[in-house]
Amino acid sequence: MKEYSIIGKPTRNVDGVAKVTGEAVYAFDMTLPNMLYGKLLRSPHPHAKIISIDTSEAEKLSGVKAIITGKDTPGGKWGLWRRFPELCDQTALAMDKVRFIGEPVAAVAAVTEEIAHEALDLIAVEYEPLPAVFEPMEAIKDDAPLVHDDFENNINTTRHIEWGNVDEAFKNADYVREDRFSLSSQHHAPMEVHNALASYDKGSKRLTVWASTQSPYFLQLGLADALKMREGDIRVIKPHVGGGYGGKNSTMPDSVNAALLSMKTGRPVKIVFNREEEFTTTEHRTAMDIAIKIGLKKDGTLVAKEVKLITDGGAYTGLGATTLYLAGTFVTFPYKTPNYRYDGVRTYTNKMWSSSMRGFGSVPAVYAAEIQLDRAANDLGIDPLEIRRINAMTPGYSASGEYTVESCGILECIDKMGKRVKEKWNDLGEDEGIGFASFAYMSGGIFNWIDTPYAFSGAMVKVNIDGTVELFTQASDIGQGHNTVSVMICAEELGIGMEDIRLHPADTATTLADLGAWGSRETLMNGNAVRAAAAEIKKMLVAVARMKLGENIVYDLVAKNKRIYLELRPERGFSYYELVKDAIKQNDGEPLIGIGHYTPHNKGMISPAYGMGIQAVRAKVDRETGLIEMKDVLVVHDCGQPINPPAVRGQVEGSTQMGLGYGLCENMPTDNGLILNPSFVDYKLIRSRDMPTIELMEVPTYEPEGPFGAKEAAEATTSPGAPALANAVYHAVGAEFDSNVLKPEKVLNAIRAKEQKGKA
Amino acid sequence: MKKELKFVVNGQTYDLWIEPKTVLVQVLRDELGLKGTKRSCDSGSCCACTVLLNGKAVKSCSILALQANGKEILTVEGLANGTQLHPIQEAFLDNWAFQCGFCTSGQMMAAKGLLDENPDPAREEIQLAMDGHLCRCTGYNMINEAIQDAAKRLQTQEEQGGAK
Amino acid sequence: MKNIMNNFEYFAPGSLEEALKLLSQYGEDECKIIAGGQSLIILLKQGLITPQYVIDIKGLSELDSISGNEKEGLKIGALTTHRAIEKSPLMQNAFCILAEMEQNVSSVETRNWGTIGGNIAHGDPSGDPAPVMLVLNAKYKLAGAKGERLVEAEDFTSGYFETDIGHDELLTEIQIPAPPPRTGAKFTKFSQLQGDYAIASAAVSMTLDADKKTCADIRIAMGSVAPAPMRAKKAEYLLRGKVITDDLLVEAGRMASEEASPTSDAEISEQYKRELVGTLVTRVGKEAFERAAMA
Repeated sequence: MKEYSIIGKPTRNVDGVAKVTGEAVYAFDMTLPNMLYGKLLRSPHPHAKIISIDTSEAEKLSGVKAIITGKDTPGGKWGLWRRFPELCDQTALAMDKVRFIGEPVAAVAAVTEEIAHEALDLIAVEYEPLPAVFEPMEAIKDDAPLVHDDFENNINTTRHIEWGNVDEAFKNADYVREDRFSLSSQHHAPMEVHNALASYDKGSKRLTVWASTQSPYFLQLGLADALKMREGDIRVIKPHVGGGYGGKNSTMPDSVNAALLSMKTGRPVKIVFNREEEFTTTEHRTAMDIAIKIGLKKDGTLVAKEVKLITDGGAYTGLGATTLYLAGTFVTFPYKTPNYRYDGVRTYTNKMWSSSMRGFGSVPAVYAAEIQLDRAANDLGIDPLEIRRINAMTPGYSASGEYTVESCGILECIDKMGKRVKEKWNDLGEDEGIGFASFAYMSGGIFNWIDTPYAFSGAMVKVNIDGTVELFTQASDIGQGHNTVSVMICAEELGIGMEDIRLHPADTATTLADLGAWGSRETLMNGNAVRAAAAEIKKMLVAVARMKLGENIVYDLVAKNKRIYLELRPERGFSYYELVKDAIKQNDGEPLIGIGHYTPHNKGMISPAYGMGIQAVRAKVDRETGLIEMKDVLVVHDCGQPINPPAVRGQVEGSTQMGLGYGLCENMPTDNGLILNPSFVDYKLIRSRDMPTIELMEVPTYEPEGPFGAKEAAEATTSPGAPALANAVYHAVGAEFDSNVLKPEKVLNAIRAKEQKGKA
Repeated sequence: MKKELKFVVNGQTYDLWIEPKTVLVQVLRDELGLKGTKRSCDSGSCCACTVLLNGKAVKSCSILALQANGKEILTVEGLANGTQLHPIQEAFLDNWAFQCGFCTSGQMMAAKGLLDENPDPAREEIQLAMDGHLCRCTGYNMINEAIQDAAKRLQTQEEQGGAK
Repeated sequence: MKNIMNNFEYFAPGSLEEALKLLSQYGEDECKIIAGGQSLIILLKQGLITPQYVIDIKGLSELDSISGNEKEGLKIGALTTHRAIEKSPLMQNAFCILAEMEQNVSSVETRNWGTIGGNIAHGDPSGDPAPVMLVLNAKYKLAGAKGERLVEAEDFTSGYFETDIGHDELLTEIQIPAPPPRTGAKFTKFSQLQGDYAIASAAVSMTLDADKKTCADIRIAMGSVAPAPMRAKKAEYLLRGKVITDDLLVEAGRMASEEASPTSDAEISEQYKRELVGTLVTRVGKEAFERAAMA
């Protein structure tokens, strides 16, 4: 493996000092002079016609500066599936009817938050409640109430994927099994709630918005569609973001209404959701029912897979349509699947809508696939690791043009896991079990539902006369550490130090478009763009160095240790700083500017590259109470070339915590569309004492499409926690589950059911 | 009716008049501009707002500001000595003990409360002390490691006679 | 949820006497006492209570102390923090149940500021201290304008957030009698995640005869399975005077579970809670027995 100066070396977070001193500014912390506070009045009904809204009393309240309802908005609809206008279904405020509990119907701006609250109580809304529908299987019935009139049977989107000859393959299989799973939703629960500050400049008629977002570009587009303004007249700036995990991709009513109120009052307006609004009116992981059928040969070779799923979409689209795509893809990973058929349906229901969340689409799909695979292995008398080994993808594996997996270390991961488990966990006690689950995920999506005409990511490097570098990128660091990765990549390419580079991130006015932080796309896509921009500069400097050296063109020059020199005769070269001065002087004073961009090409339908690996969970079960104790976790991981190892580990740890939470305790029970646990008291999150230790082992590979061989790192590890935990419980006490969230009562009931079955 | 609040924050004496219903975190953030202390849960259940009050970790969202009258408060802004970071801050940086950083101030203040009381805590003691703190990014293990690392750094500093 | 508090007038009396005087001036509905406020402030923020006057007794240092020993019993001032009890060197032998219980009350941050008196006076059926106080046979001292009175812990909480405190009274002290020789006590709470509110909790204090096998006396208490923490008196009756065996403890657990009256909530059934609390009683009963035998 190539030795880099910076890539692959443990590196401190470039935003770290700001974050540990409390100086890092989040949108949550921002205020502007003369700023107003906005609040949203929300529907108490899951489905109702709005008969009338009377704001007159509220308007009389001293300190209230503006109140708007649906008819005061430009009526622009928006969504992330911009290529399909019918799926752009969000509005700033409900126009004629409300479709879920918590849908905003009016917005108030006042001089204090308290007055804004008080004003909400004075707005009188008359509703005519309509019959509502909450479950996907109910929603598709012919007599179900329609959430949106023009979507028959409440079907929001469908997706079909197929390759090979599935029916034939099932006929020839030695063993076929079908299982059904029901997967619940999960909330991102970021520590920073959704919030936005909008400031409309009356003179220039331009808008600036600071928001807690994962994608300034998506927000810019969403605002433009919602406000019927030009994109270019809207500037979105992403300050530090207190966590996203897929929950801050969509343009939400906080930013749109802050903008509308600012445009109406001519003053900056800030809207901050409270924690209850965060839980009940921002997106969450998509709940779904999955039917999954596999056919295997006696030796465990997978010959066919058929998957049908239906998702609980909620009232609007968000990124929910993409769920179908990703679930249908990652339910096959990381195994060779010669014959495959998939049908997914997303339904509208009268609930807050579901959308993307870390491991988007793959988390429920992998749950179903990995538990089923364990059951099949058990029936066929094959070791759980062996059945995964037999079917593991190999480098270059292609699924009929849908996707091609170039770098692929899954086999090495499985082998390493086998060795480590034998070594470390040879002391299993009573009622203890080990469960495995493999995982894989994309390095950014190839799909362009957002319909951007720009490259998927761009970056710009400007070099000052003293060699200091200004790096401009719109990529979003939402905590994952991408700012550090960009600076590392730029520094490595130019052979300079990270201290030479100042990063200007995530401002739509000053940077080139980037689609944002979702689908683990920034390292590969923005990393490639940054590297390409830096390479432009390097080319200019190399040209100057070559001239000065007077060497033949065949001799290669490298940029390293702040010098550019002949690779074979390192003593022959020049200081980087000297070359920068020369380059600018020689070029008639023109500044050195490098621009780079990246868009995937000829990489199939899904992603340019895939990270993957296998996880094992060791757990102990209390047979009398059903309580699960998670003892230890092993992760073997192929993320290509890790750019910043502690950041990769941090992502694995965090994803694993979220995955185990999905498997153990996080859920969102509802009653007639009302979410019953919208607080950190009632929504149960794993905390320090319950978090098991994690041992991470990397299997480095080289991804040809990624910067310095890098690809997706660790989002995939959100998926294996829940199925590995369920598999561990199965191996400990024989209890089987067809749904995630293993609360003690459910586990106890499953143990009892197993005991009954044993007796019968 | 406003009441007088006299207290010391990060070594600085303040004398303010506030509404009695104001909680401590509001005074710190909105009156004093110390926005390093975060609010997150609204229900006293995440510890993001943790500060030290007379040396003890407390939730600044769950204390009436007037209850801090006559007390000494330390917030994240008071942790470093000028440009010299506190060993806990150094350890959090080196151990990648934060990602988004939103819970980090609270975590570090609680870590200081713990280490002042127990300079050499075992992993279980750290977990017990930090159990109130929600973190959605790190999965906690790297925070535990940072606190153990900070304990070592503080011990070294002590041995070398450095200032606390 | 609004998350915005109503205005109120605030008093910080300098003495217990002053506090009681203030308290007697205002009606029950318009006035609230704040100590550590770890429960109260959330209720205020949610607008569930909207007092006009708040009397802050947190600063009354006369109520912040722990004294006594195993021979004389303990006196714990109502404003003693959870953390002070957890860390007190007086929590030895039979009293270690108090420190063990405190260690799992919410978070260090809550325990550093929240007080034992505030917790008990709040009357939350899922509170951890109350069942322990029941098995330790604690008495609560209430002070009012008319003087002081002692209430048995068992008689103190009558229902969901309902206590025996008169509106002009303050809980000032918790008195815990000296345990008889050969007494062991144990508390456990059950929640899926540690440090969370109890789905069910159980405490047992057992005193053995000189043979260290026969149960001379026993108190069993259960939390979160009724509108108030409760004794499991039938289970106690079953064990009293008997040689303790594993089977007998299982039977006691079964009886305790019949005595409990939990209710189903959105996620957990009444049956599960009922069975669970029986299991907990059996388990802590065994540990209390072992401790008593060692004492």
